[in-house]
Amino acid sequence: MTTRARVTLAAVGGAALLPVLLPHPFVLTIATQAVIWALLAASWDLLSGYTGQISFGHAGFFALGAYAAAAATKHADVSPWLGLLVGATIAAAVGLLTGFPALRLRGHYLALVTLGLAEIIRLVAQNWLALTGGPFGIHDFRSFPGLPDGALAHRQAMYLVVVAVVVGSVAVMYQVCERTSAGQAFRAIREDEVLAQTLGIDTTRYKLLAFALSSGFAGLAGGLYAYYVQLVSPVVASAATTSLVIGMVVFGGLGTLWGPVLGALLLYGLYEGLRFVGVVYNLVAVGFVIMVFVIFFPRGLAGLGRSA
Amino acid sequence: MLESLLEFLIQGLVLGGLYALFAVGLSLIFGVLDVINVAHGEFFAIGGYLAFAAVVLLHLPGAVGVLGAAVGTFLLGLCVYPLLIAPLKRRLGGRPQGPLYLVLTLGLSTFLQSSLLAIAGGDYLRVPPQVSGILDLGVTAVSHQRLLVLAAAAVLLTALFAFLRFHPEGLAVRAVALNSDAAQAMGINLPRIFALTLALGVALAGVGGALMAPLFNVYPAVGFPLTIKAFAITILGGMGNPAGALVASFLVSIAESLSVMVIPSQWQNLIAFAVMIVMLLVRPRGLFGRAVSR
Repeated sequence: MTTRARVTLAAVGGAALLPVLLPHPFVLTIATQAVIWALLAASWDLLSGYTGQISFGHAGFFALGAYAAAAATKHADVSPWLGLLVGATIAAAVGLLTGFPALRLRGHYLALVTLGLAEIIRLVAQNWLALTGGPFGIHDFRSFPGLPDGALAHRQAMYLVVVAVVVGSVAVMYQVCERTSAGQAFRAIREDEVLAQTLGIDTTRYKLLAFALSSGFAGLAGGLYAYYVQLVSPVVASAATTSLVIGMVVFGGLGTLWGPVLGALLLYGLYEGLRFVGVVYNLVAVGFVIMVFVIFFPRGLAGLGRSA
Repeated sequence: MLESLLEFLIQGLVLGGLYALFAVGLSLIFGVLDVINVAHGEFFAIGGYLAFAAVVLLHLPGAVGVLGAAVGTFLLGLCVYPLLIAPLKRRLGGRPQGPLYLVLTLGLSTFLQSSLLAIAGGDYLRVPPQVSGILDLGVTAVSHQRLLVLAAAAVLLTALFAFLRFHPEGLAVRAVALNSDAAQAMGINLPRIFALTLALGVALAGVGGALMAPLFNVYPAVGFPLTIKAFAITILGGMGNPAGALVASFLVSIAESLSVMVIPSQWQNLIAFAVMIVMLLVRPRGLFGRAVSR
C-alpha cells in the first residue's frame, strides 16, 4: 500500500467518523455540504484536470442533476434513490451531447461554450415555471426514506448516506483515471491530443467518455444536494458555483482527484467558517486563495510535497 | 407595428453602444495577451462605484465621475498584468497554459466582486444621470442619458481604433497581437504593451459602468452577466478581433431588442448564448475572425 493510499484511507475514515465525534447539527450541516462539493470538484477534475477539457459549465450539470432529481420526486413521486440515478443520467446525457460539439473546440472556446450552456440552463430553470418553480425553485419534496426520525439522528444518517455515495463515486473515478487505459488516454489527450491520435488512441471516444462521466457525477452531486438541502433554485446554476468548484480544484491540485476532494473540504470549511468573521469576507478569501494558488502553487495542495 | 419596430431598433442601438464599449476591450485584451478576462465585468462595476463616489459622496459634477471612472479603472488595470499575469507567465515558462489564466481571472473576478460587497455593501445604489432630459422622436422618446452612452461609445471607440491605426504605441499593440515574438525582436517592450492593453480594455468597461450607472443602478454583481454576454459577442465577432466585436455587439443588441416582438422578454437573454453556441459549431472563428490555429 502506497503512502498516498494510506493517507487517502485515513482521510476517508476520519471524515466518516466526524458525525460520531462531533454530533453537532451545525458541524454536520457543513460537513455534509462539504462532502457534496467534494464530489462536484472531483467530477470537474476528471474532465478538466485529467483530460484537459476545460468546462466552465459544471454549475449547469450540477443544477440539471438537482432539478431532475427534485422534479422527479415532487411531480412523479419517484423514490429519492432512483431520483439520484435519474439526475445523474440526465446530466450525463446532456454532458455527452455537449461533448459532441466540444470535440471541435479546444481551450478557451470550450470553456466559453460550457459557460454559455450553464447560463442557458439557469435561464430555463428561472423561466420554465411549470417544471422548475421559477425563481423560487422546487421545494416540499421528500428525502431518502427509512432514515431515523430524530433531528440529530436524521442528520447523522443523512451525512453517512452522502459520504457513502461520494466515497463510492470518487473511488470509481479514481479507478477509471489511475487504473484503466481510459485514464491513460485522458492524460494523453491533455498532454498532446495530436500525439495521442497518432499513437492510435481514439480521442473522440475518450473525450466523450470523460464528458459523460464528469457530467454524470456532477449531476449525482446535484441530486445529493437536492435531497439534502430540500430546495433547488436557479442560484445553484449560477457561475458563482462553477467559480467555487474550480477554486477548490486549483486549491487542491489539478489532475489528482484526491487533491480536489481535500481542496473542497478545506475551502468549503474556510468559506463557511469565515462567515463568523463577516458574511462577505468568505468570498474575498476564496478569490484571493484562487489567485495565490494559481500563481504560486499551480499544482495545489497535492503538489506541495513535490518540487514545483 | 412599424412604430414599435423603430422603437425597439433605437433601444437596440443604445444597448449596442454599451455592449461595444464592453466587448471591444475584452476582444482586444484576448487578441494581444491571449487571456480571457473573466473579471471584465468587475471593472464595469468599479466604474459605476467610482461615479457614485464622485457624484453622490463628493458632490462633484457628473463628468468628473465619468473621468474618475476612466482614470481609476485604467490605473487598476495597469496593475493586473505585472501583479497577476506576469508572475504566472514566468512560473509557467514555456509550458502550456491550460486553464490557468482563465482560472486566474476568475479568481480576480470573485475577489473584486466580493471586495466591492465588503466595502460598499450589497445595496442597489442610485447615481443621478450625467445629462437629463428626453429627446422626442415622435414615434418614441429616448432619454439623453441613453444617447450619451451611444455617443460616448462612438467617440471612444473611434479614438481607440484611430490609436491602434496611427499612434506608434497603437501600432505596437497590433504588432504584438499579430506575433509577439517578432514584435519583441523588433524592440517592442512586451510587458509595457501587455499592461497598457489590459488597462485600456478595462478602462472602456469602466467608462461604460459610469455611464450606465444611472440606468442600471450599481451593485457588486452588476457587471458579471455582461461579461458572460460579452463572451458570446466576442465569439460571434471572432475572438481577438476588436472590429468584429464592434459589429457583433450591434448585431446581438438589435436581435435582442427586436426579439421582444416575437418571444417573451424573459427569454431575451438566451439569444446571445444560442447564437454563440451555433456560431462555435458552424464557424468557430466567428463572422470576421482569423483562421483558428489551435
